[in-house]
Amino acid sequence: MSVGPPPQYAAPRDALLLNQADHVATALRPLGTGQQAHVEGLKQTLLIRQDIPLCHKVACRDIAAGESVRKYGEVIGVATATIPAGTHVHVHNVKSQRS
Amino acid sequence: MTVSKHAWMGYHRPDGTVGVRNDLLVLSVAGLTGPCARRVAAALPLAKCVTMPFGGGLLGADRQLHIESLIGFGANPNVGAVLLIGSDIPKVQLIAQRIEATGKPVAAVCLDDCDHDVLTLTHRALRAGAELLLEISRNRRQPAPVSALSVGLECGRSDPSSGLVANPLIGAVTDRLIGLGATAMFGESLEWLGAEHWLAARAASPDIALAVTEAVARRARLAAAQGEDLLGNNPGPTNIAAGLSTIEEKSLGAVAKSGSTPIQGVLRMAERPSKPGLYAMDGSAYSPESVSGFVAAGAQLVLFSTGVGNSYVSLLAPTLKICANPQAAAVLRNQLDFDASAVFTGLNPLQTAADELLNLVLEVAGGTLTWGEILNEGDEVVARLGEAL
Repeated sequence: MSVGPPPQYAAPRDALLLNQADHVATALRPLGTGQQAHVEGLKQTLLIRQDIPLCHKVACRDIAAGESVRKYGEVIGVATATIPAGTHVHVHNVKSQRS
Repeated sequence: MTVSKHAWMGYHRPDGTVGVRNDLLVLSVAGLTGPCARRVAAALPLAKCVTMPFGGGLLGADRQLHIESLIGFGANPNVGAVLLIGSDIPKVQLIAQRIEATGKPVAAVCLDDCDHDVLTLTHRALRAGAELLLEISRNRRQPAPVSALSVGLECGRSDPSSGLVANPLIGAVTDRLIGLGATAMFGESLEWLGAEHWLAARAASPDIALAVTEAVARRARLAAAQGEDLLGNNPGPTNIAAGLSTIEEKSLGAVAKSGSTPIQGVLRMAERPSKPGLYAMDGSAYSPESVSGFVAAGAQLVLFSTGVGNSYVSLLAPTLKICANPQAAAVLRNQLDFDASAVFTGLNPLQTAADELLNLVLEVAGGTLTWGEILNEGDEVVARLGEAL
């Protein structure tokens, strides 16, 4: 394969926002409380308010209870509680619309 | 990234399709002649051998899939010539005629013509195969457009890096290919469950949207009839520990391979698309069966994402293994054709990796070998749907 060394960035990305419509980014490394995370797809850094394990989701903005939660630009479920920006989004605060 | 009009070099076939390879296919049409086909292919190391383990007594959709797969493998643009080996003349003739309609050379040998002496069959097949190999060796690569490519999209042995990076990466490449006039197919309709609303919303017509949701409902009914609940405990505890919260999220990660362009139709396994664009194939979730469905439908290449590694590749369509898991990428350097782990570790943006992967796709189309080809890991596996008579 003809892939050269990856281009260098000011800071490696900590999380990935897959679509501009998304409410959540996915952690590309474990994120620690208090950290300013670099999120690919977000202009500003994101203040992490809760530890986020690798590949788990973090809210990129405040999400109201009952609001649809988007990833891949699509609804992946409904928030069952208020989810502040920078906190963990998972089964404790989001549920499937199919269950 | 700019891609030139004639972006790769391929083998132009009489029916207007273009192969990325120029193979002699030794094709046994039923289980009875499988050993003979393998013996002939072993004596002709440049040939590729596909054998069907079954044949007689197939019913309905099984029979249709069996015949369409045999014809589809032979008609695949990567195949330069076909040597058919079978038992009964009418079946072999039917398949030969349908493949000959593509204009490529076809030779057929039957046990019925050989007094059912398999050594006579072997002798005749070997001679015919040797002559076909000489004939197709005269073919040369010529410039070809991206629009001549048809690509199957698959994932196998996935992990969290698949839905997050490898599948969206394949989706980004699929969008680029479709934008350049190519064709792409994704399958594994079981994995549309939870994402069918999203797929249906992308359908090019209401009929196609209905076919997408009906395909998922049919899989769910199939499972329910055997006492399995597809929504119960899905995502499972391992998925949840890995960060997946809902079935929608899990399935969106799987179908992210399909990118974002409109869905032009829902295909049966082995059904060739009628025009370029993106297609959904209602087929098995088991990778070997799913991939063979694409190849019989004319796919010349397969983009196959894996999380922890998966050695399976198509025999007839070079299969690019794409992985974003840094541990697997470090270990499986002779399995993975594209290492996307720099996206996963945050060093390379996904869209940059998509341009790099598109370059590799065109390079492989032009003749660069995949690891699966080098290591001879390829096979074709036609699905069986039910009982035979």
